[in-house]
Amino acid sequence: MRELLRRIHYLLHRRRFDDELADEMAFHREMAEQSGGVPLGNALRLREDSREAWGFMWLDRFSQDVHYAFRAMRSSPGFTAAAVLVLAIGIGATVAAFSAFNMVALRPLPVRDPESILRFGRHAPGRSASDIPYPAVAFYREHTRTLSALLAQTESGLSVEGVDRPSSTFFVTANFFDELGARAELGRLFNIRDERPDAQATVVLGQAFWASHFGSDPSVVGTTVRLNGKPATIIGVAALEFSGLAGDTPAIWALLEQHGYFVHGSQVLTDFSSGVAMWGRLGPGASPQMAETELTTLAAELRRQHPNDIWENERLLGNPGGRPQLTGAVEVFTIVGILVLLILAVACGNLGSLLLARGASRQREMALRSAIGAGPGRLIRQLFTESLVLALIGCVGGLALGSIVLKGIMVWTHGPAWLDPTPDWRVVTFAIAMGFVSSVLFGLTPALHVARQRNLNKRPTFGRSVLIGAQVASSCVLLIVAGLLTRAFDRAASTDPGYEYEHVIVVQPSLSEHGYTAARARDYIQNLSARLRGIAGVEDLSVTSTPPLSGLRVLAPVQLGGRAIDIYIHQVDPHYLATMKIPLVGGRNLIEGDELSVVVSESLARMQWPDTDPVGQPIKIGDEMLTVIGIARSARSLAPGNPDAVELYRLAREADLTGLALVARTSGPTETLAPAFSAAANSIDANFKPQVHLLKQQFEANVGDIRGVALAVSMLGVIALAVACLGVVGLVAYSVAQRTKEIGIRLALGAQSRHLVRSLTRQFWRTIIVGLVLGVLGAGGLAQLLRRELYGLSTIDPVAYISAIVLFILAVSLAALLPARRALRVDPLVALRCD
Amino acid sequence: MHKSEMPSGAMVLLVLRVLRSGPLHGYAIAQRIHTLSSDALRVEEGSLYPALQKILLKGWVTAAWGTSETGRKVRFYKITRAGLKQLEAEASQYDRLTKAIQAILRTA
Repeated sequence: MRELLRRIHYLLHRRRFDDELADEMAFHREMAEQSGGVPLGNALRLREDSREAWGFMWLDRFSQDVHYAFRAMRSSPGFTAAAVLVLAIGIGATVAAFSAFNMVALRPLPVRDPESILRFGRHAPGRSASDIPYPAVAFYREHTRTLSALLAQTESGLSVEGVDRPSSTFFVTANFFDELGARAELGRLFNIRDERPDAQATVVLGQAFWASHFGSDPSVVGTTVRLNGKPATIIGVAALEFSGLAGDTPAIWALLEQHGYFVHGSQVLTDFSSGVAMWGRLGPGASPQMAETELTTLAAELRRQHPNDIWENERLLGNPGGRPQLTGAVEVFTIVGILVLLILAVACGNLGSLLLARGASRQREMALRSAIGAGPGRLIRQLFTESLVLALIGCVGGLALGSIVLKGIMVWTHGPAWLDPTPDWRVVTFAIAMGFVSSVLFGLTPALHVARQRNLNKRPTFGRSVLIGAQVASSCVLLIVAGLLTRAFDRAASTDPGYEYEHVIVVQPSLSEHGYTAARARDYIQNLSARLRGIAGVEDLSVTSTPPLSGLRVLAPVQLGGRAIDIYIHQVDPHYLATMKIPLVGGRNLIEGDELSVVVSESLARMQWPDTDPVGQPIKIGDEMLTVIGIARSARSLAPGNPDAVELYRLAREADLTGLALVARTSGPTETLAPAFSAAANSIDANFKPQVHLLKQQFEANVGDIRGVALAVSMLGVIALAVACLGVVGLVAYSVAQRTKEIGIRLALGAQSRHLVRSLTRQFWRTIIVGLVLGVLGAGGLAQLLRRELYGLSTIDPVAYISAIVLFILAVSLAALLPARRALRVDPLVALRCD
Repeated sequence: MHKSEMPSGAMVLLVLRVLRSGPLHGYAIAQRIHTLSSDALRVEEGSLYPALQKILLKGWVTAAWGTSETGRKVRFYKITRAGLKQLEAEASQYDRLTKAIQAILRTA
């Protein structure tokens, strides 16, 4: 330790120590000369050897190298600008992707002490639920000792005057804002007094809703707003940057205690069959395990009072609650990650080739340096330092570029306001690491080659082949994937999804959220159906638990042929298939009273009964044994991104009634009928407004997502192709420049230009072809991964592959021919005179 | 034996040993080693000054400016307590080593 301090002391005062050492050694020489000795060796060299003991020579050399690198960069600004630009693009792409991942997956939510928040769910052998009945939450809150606070939330859509669709409202416990350290933009947020039984109804507005609906009018605080027809006082506005815990913020925040006031017939507070999301804050010294054990014990205790409502052996398990919950995003990020790494690979391969070419022109300099005593190690270190400096500048550029791109994407996609795209220490560390990795990738091979002064004029060496091959392969993968996606988009936009979407209107009353019982729901649906049928232009009408593309899904995990798959279950009426124009391909349709019969999709039939007729076969769903009576054509209405989705239709039962939606097929365009639908839907229950939407719009939005992805990947592909072409232009131009003399001689001897061009470009073809093959294989692998996310993507789409390869070969040939043609205009006399 | 050859590691030991009797400057250290070894060992600048820098860093000696016998300003090296301890350790280590080598040379 002491020694290290002394070393640092020497480092800081090294000029003085160096002078002292020089003085001392001069004295030594004087004395030696006086006594007749002959001093040996170079004084400076001896002093340097002594200085080596201080242990900071590497720093001196490093700073020398850095100085030298800057000088070299200044002397060729064109090269430097190109290199930094290429690197900034490559690193910027990875930085943007990583920042996005960091933002949604690594960074905790912007709430107070996010690490001590747990989200609890119910688990028992064979079943689990993410929500917990409110009476149980109240019981846990009363008895817990390990948790310092319990938070709960449930969502409902409430109708607000002047808004034609239900406004998302989060009903939370009164401690929610305080516990999470939320800031009021205006007025105040909830506190515990608001929750008292005699308290007046109060609400807090979300800032975005305040802006869109109230025009950010500050005088709105203290006024009364009517929600579902019930008056409530606005007490404040929650700030935009408050994220809540659900990864989403509502239009309106209200109190869970007052759910029944706003939502007619609500039983959320008393009913064990519904549930709310529950979070707990760990008290001082408590571990997640302690909290889980305690809550599980409490659940067992509660089960003694409510044996039917709390499950046997029910356990409460906690997950980190202070982080955004990512489901399914991992795969998307894997794909994006691979794509941006490919861009970086292209950039590095490109830069490596550039450096190699430039290294050849610096051979004289290298020879000179080694002649005055620089060893190969020193030369490699110096060249590598130059790459490192380039990489660091590229890294700063990449960081800036990546952040700008991410901010742009956030604005473009209307990302949540509380997500902060500003780079934090993780992103900066990542960018620096990427810079370092890329400097190794593009800088090491050229450094080794140049420093060893290999003859770079001959055939391409292995290292150079790898660099070109990597570029070719990576840009080829990007091009093919872009082609596949574009084709998938075309197909998604042009082909039949398997059901009618253009002339369908969906009415979603969400009756369960408004406290409807099954009996009242039946009346409501009959009433609404009658009114909708009365509208001119309605051809057909039916009900379903899961309207297409609604995001609602009922999944049944089943074992089919030895593997576990999820069946998408539609609870419908007998008319549904006809309304949605999904044709039967075998057996018969459901009729009233077919409680234990199902119609399966063709895809399910193929998977489960490949050889036999499915009609009459038994199928086990949950605890029930059902019989297949018919087969419907496959329609991916619920999982447009999953081509392997299998579906099953069965009749909706009594218990499903409160969750049903109505779908109506019209004869004319749906736009003109929508107002009539809304009017009919709003006329039945004055307390709320059902959601009415056109299926066509949802379908187009869904297709638009695919188009966006295809566009983005195509852009990446074009960038990669451009960078790769630049690389090829550079390489061939360099090769021409190197062989000017040879070309001159051959031209003078009467060589045909055809032969010359061929001999100039021949050396690259094998590498390019190997790269192409690798690229095609890579694209095939990546397409498999993509296929799971995107509807209609075919992994073996010959058009996409061939057009990408043809485009690539054309671009690369052009890139190779342009500089090669220049060789033919060489004047033999000039060529022979150059060295 | 070549005149200037010195067993590796011995330089530090010898420098510390000649400094035990009092502070000396660099040239005097070289001279002292030369005379004490009956002109057998010759200390070159190229090995003396790196060794001195190393010893300084380790904290075994301190350096202070003084005036030489010829009236010139020069650095004098003085052994520290840690240096004395190191000298003792290295001397006994060296002793053991030479004894072992000699034992082998006699019997083998």
